[in-house]
Amino acid sequence: MLEILTQSPHFYDYVTAAVLLLGVFNVAEVLFLLWNKARVERSEVKRQNLKRLASTALITATDPAELLPRPIKEEEFAAYSEAIASVLDSFEGEIAVKAVKLISDLGIDDHYRRLARHRVWYKRGNAIDILSSFRLKSNREFFLAVFRSEPALDVRYRIIYGLSRLAREHADIRALARLLSGLPYLTAKYTEDIFYNIITSLKASGSEAEFGIFMREIMHDKTVLNLVKRDCITACYAAGCERGRGLLREYYAAFPGEPEILISAVKALARVGDFSVTAEALKNPDWRVRLAALKHAHLCCMDMLPEIRAMLNDPSYHVRLNAALALAKGDNKCRVALREAAAGPDAFAASAAAYALTQEAA
Amino acid sequence: MAKILIIDDDETIHLICRAYLTKSGHIIEEAYDGPEGLVKAEAFQPDLLLLDINMPRMSGFDVAKKLKENPATKNIPIFMMTSLKQEANIQRGYGLGIEEYITKPANVEHLKLRIEKFLQSRK
Repeated sequence: MLEILTQSPHFYDYVTAAVLLLGVFNVAEVLFLLWNKARVERSEVKRQNLKRLASTALITATDPAELLPRPIKEEEFAAYSEAIASVLDSFEGEIAVKAVKLISDLGIDDHYRRLARHRVWYKRGNAIDILSSFRLKSNREFFLAVFRSEPALDVRYRIIYGLSRLAREHADIRALARLLSGLPYLTAKYTEDIFYNIITSLKASGSEAEFGIFMREIMHDKTVLNLVKRDCITACYAAGCERGRGLLREYYAAFPGEPEILISAVKALARVGDFSVTAEALKNPDWRVRLAALKHAHLCCMDMLPEIRAMLNDPSYHVRLNAALALAKGDNKCRVALREAAAGPDAFAASAAAYALTQEAA
Repeated sequence: MAKILIIDDDETIHLICRAYLTKSGHIIEEAYDGPEGLVKAEAFQPDLLLLDINMPRMSGFDVAKKLKENPATKNIPIFMMTSLKQEANIQRGYGLGIEEYITKPANVEHLKLRIEKFLQSRK
């Protein structure tokens, strides 16, 4: 084929035609990219203008729906939704009430409820995310109904996330825990976020104690993964459950062989100023638990100087280093011990102590 | 009448805060990220600064730290307004020397009253 072409008297005509075609294609491609860029920019400007218009209507109008053009295109729905979600995230009171009313007045909730049944999974997921951002209690039953028929795992996780922002009472937490246990464990961060949302929703409605009841219920429930129990404790840590100290101590005592739970409990308790388990955790056979305790040792356990001093020779590098840092934060006696270790024969302990002393000096 | 600088990346927050605060006769200056906020704080010398935490380029904590380190801006009172409700963040904010830590969602009328009361107390 190549031979026929090269020997053809029209060879150079073919080459010229091919180069011209390539040139035309390149020009067309550049034109298309420029057109697309302009289209995206126009759409972004329109979206920002609509967002601004929606926010202004919420501030100035008694009935904002009267001022705003009804959304038709997807980008118009998206712009209104962003403005409304932003208002609901940041403000409460009259303006939030108007924002909630706007959702139904402009048919935004109906639109996204329809999209939540779309055949493309990411469109369904996006619709669920937007509906979640509105935190409308009326969406609870809808979320549950969609969850039952939803085939995509990714969307189901998003529905649970949306439901976690609506938790108000004990039954909601149980229902969420049931839905969550029916799906494969996703990540620690996801589960923690779910429980964090639940705690903050409950706190907002003055029923924080309900979460304590739930945690007590699952403590010895073998059907609930220990990972999930750990994530509950971590969520308590993040949300600062001041009233859950007793329960966290119970978790610490009930799971001596579960370092992940012990670490979370030590951290969560220390966060609310409870160091009752820290001293014991310093002696735990698992180095990760000892490490978690060492991070707070300077706040509670400096009377355990010999034990902490001995941890400078710990087999774990992280423990040695943090023991040195804990001593550096302690009183004069601790720093004397640290200086002795820095000049001592154990190279590992000496290096950790020297590092802590330089950090302290800095 | 006071000069108030709003540093937040969300335009909706700017619109709403500006609308409510200008109604009370305050002069509003706005910045959409930390570096812009730092420049405007020095130039505008506001009587109060409303500061978000989660922003692009620089967090509100870093902005507050830099403002307090700069002799030209260290006396500007800061109200942090954020959705971060964790105790550690609240303590971190107060540790940096801010005046108020307001968690979202906030009632905009109450926010206005708190600002008014604070500005009155500084007179």
